Amino acid sequence: MAQSSFKAPSFTVSVRGLARYALVAVFVVVFAIFSAIAPAFLSGANLLSVLVNNFALLAIVAIAMTFAVAAGGIDLSVGTAIDFASFAFVSLVLAGQPIPLAILGGLVGASLVGLFNAILISGVGISPFLATLGTLFVGRSAQQLLTNGGNPVYLPPSSVPEAFRFLGHGGIAGIPVPFVVAFGVIAGAYLILSHTRFGRVVLATGIQASVVRYSGIALSRYTAATYVLVSAIAAVAGLIVTSTVTVYIPSSGNAFLLNAIGATFIGTTLDPHGRPNIPGTVLGVLLLSIVANGLLLSGLNFYWQQVATGLLIFSVLAIGFANRKAASRA
Amino acid sequence: MSVDAAYLSPSLPASIGNEADATPAPRGALGRRLAVLALRQGSLAVFIGVLVYFSIAAPFFLSVDNIGNVLGQSAIAGVLAIGLTVVIIAGGSNVVTGGIDLSLASNMGLSAAVYASLVQAGQGDAVAIICALGTGLLIGAVNAAAITLAGIVPLLATLAVMNVVAGLELVLTLNTVIPASTEFLATVSATGPFGIPVLAYLLLGFTALVAAVVQYTPLGLRLYAVGEFPEAARAAGLRVKLFISGAFLASGLCGGLAGILSVSYLSGSTTGAGDMLLPVVVTALLGTVFSRRLVPTIGGTLLATLFVSFLINGFQLLNISSTLVSGVQGLLILLVVSATTLLQRKGNQ
Repeated sequence: MAQSSFKAPSFTVSVRGLARYALVAVFVVVFAIFSAIAPAFLSGANLLSVLVNNFALLAIVAIAMTFAVAAGGIDLSVGTAIDFASFAFVSLVLAGQPIPLAILGGLVGASLVGLFNAILISGVGISPFLATLGTLFVGRSAQQLLTNGGNPVYLPPSSVPEAFRFLGHGGIAGIPVPFVVAFGVIAGAYLILSHTRFGRVVLATGIQASVVRYSGIALSRYTAATYVLVSAIAAVAGLIVTSTVTVYIPSSGNAFLLNAIGATFIGTTLDPHGRPNIPGTVLGVLLLSIVANGLLLSGLNFYWQQVATGLLIFSVLAIGFANRKAASRA
Repeated sequence: MSVDAAYLSPSLPASIGNEADATPAPRGALGRRLAVLALRQGSLAVFIGVLVYFSIAAPFFLSVDNIGNVLGQSAIAGVLAIGLTVVIIAGGSNVVTGGIDLSLASNMGLSAAVYASLVQAGQGDAVAIICALGTGLLIGAVNAAAITLAGIVPLLATLAVMNVVAGLELVLTLNTVIPASTEFLATVSATGPFGIPVLAYLLLGFTALVAAVVQYTPLGLRLYAVGEFPEAARAAGLRVKLFISGAFLASGLCGGLAGILSVSYLSGSTTGAGDMLLPVVVTALLGTVFSRRLVPTIGGTLLATLFVSFLINGFQLLNISSTLVSGVQGLLILLVVSATTLLQRKGNQ
């Protein structure tokens, strides 16, 4: 009797340990399959293009989303922040302002979105899902008003300075700028979340907000700061997109929303407690990126790619949550 | 009058939020009651006020033709929003961990594509109807299994299902429009008695049917219990997971039905069904303001759907840019939710 009760937990622990790395395993398997069926997949040029074209932008947005989810919320308006950053950036460049000022303007523009969310969430006390959903809708209308009903704002080649091109197409020591920026954002986010007081409070808020409040921490200020930070990080993606394609298209940022949420929650399966974490999010984005690229290269019908991506996300989530369920039962 | 009023006193939800205040002062409860009444009557007053304004500013607005058209145009969004409302009732108001079905709009798209493809393949209406509803039901079943068996949070489970379903629609239609015209489809999109579209009658009939079940039967009462107090519902012997599965099946079926209506309304399946998602979510959440206890109700959702449709219609008649519509929707939801939240906070004090 005593023996069996000793055995049971050790068995569950090992199963949990295995399932925890399900995400890593899925990633390795998917990587291996694509390497086998699509010879071009494993080439250096292709992997680099995955990192620059697929990974970098989504990673930045997903990192932003991770902060919101880590704080126990969600931000459906990351796309709006991207758009506002993009709009402010393009407008300032068109007005002939220097690039650093335009970048600052983009960050400020996006932070206004974050500030709006912050007021709704920590000022009024609306749940983050509803508040940011409202922001998404208001933001969409605001952009249409700013652009005469949703016309894209193009940057003519003549008005594009060299520094602008550098952001989207340049390289630092041979490494493309978008990837360098994404790496910087990831490293910065990791440091903030796991090595600062702010990060600890954010994580604690996500686990048990009331405990944070009872500990005498000004919870609403931290929550407000979190949502401003989320928008500011998302803004970086907006700046890179804009400098790559030299156009601002109203409400185009929403394209990242669902993948960013997906990557963040796929990433939670890496954590023993199912908490959002930066390495998990990065791995989630990597998985989504190589799946998108690998399916393209494997010559599968373009339309099946979305099905396959969806099924993959679904299975990772199923494994992750079934594992968590088993853990909570044990 | 209904489940909504009978089953809990208004002071209860407020005390749940803060355990320290298990017994709010009767005065505060009364104050909250009055405030809730003001909000509910206020939103009805705004609804009526907007209608009156449009009728004066655009005389055509109040004509039977126009009202019938608006009702008909609301049918698709209305059926989807009702499906979502059932899920929100059964899953509780926490949209992240509770009731949400993000796959509804793409469900409608795939069901419509199935219907149109079958018609193109020479199948009859009966087969097409059964397959379209079956598609919706199957999607609901996958959601239900993912949520109750695998234990995935509804927000994520339905997000993943949404991706798969939207992908399947692309595979089936190759991202093109599939035209479909049959006698049945023509009947549904035709004008019925009194010059009002058949779609309008369908919407009202469907709402009445679902409202009857959800608001006036023991089944509906239990659905609310499962959503608001799952622990209590479980303790009372209700099979919580069964109810949640049922809600997702029902919402899947609504997606299939909306698919059929959209094939009829648009004479075929079209791309971009996913764009319906967020407006439908907003509508379903907006509907709570039309209920006595500020909870999701079928009637409230219908009113919210009609409110948004009348708003769009009125803007069109007055030549106001339709780009304002999403802004107005956004501001409405924020106003409603702010008012509700502040009220609840006041109730807690």
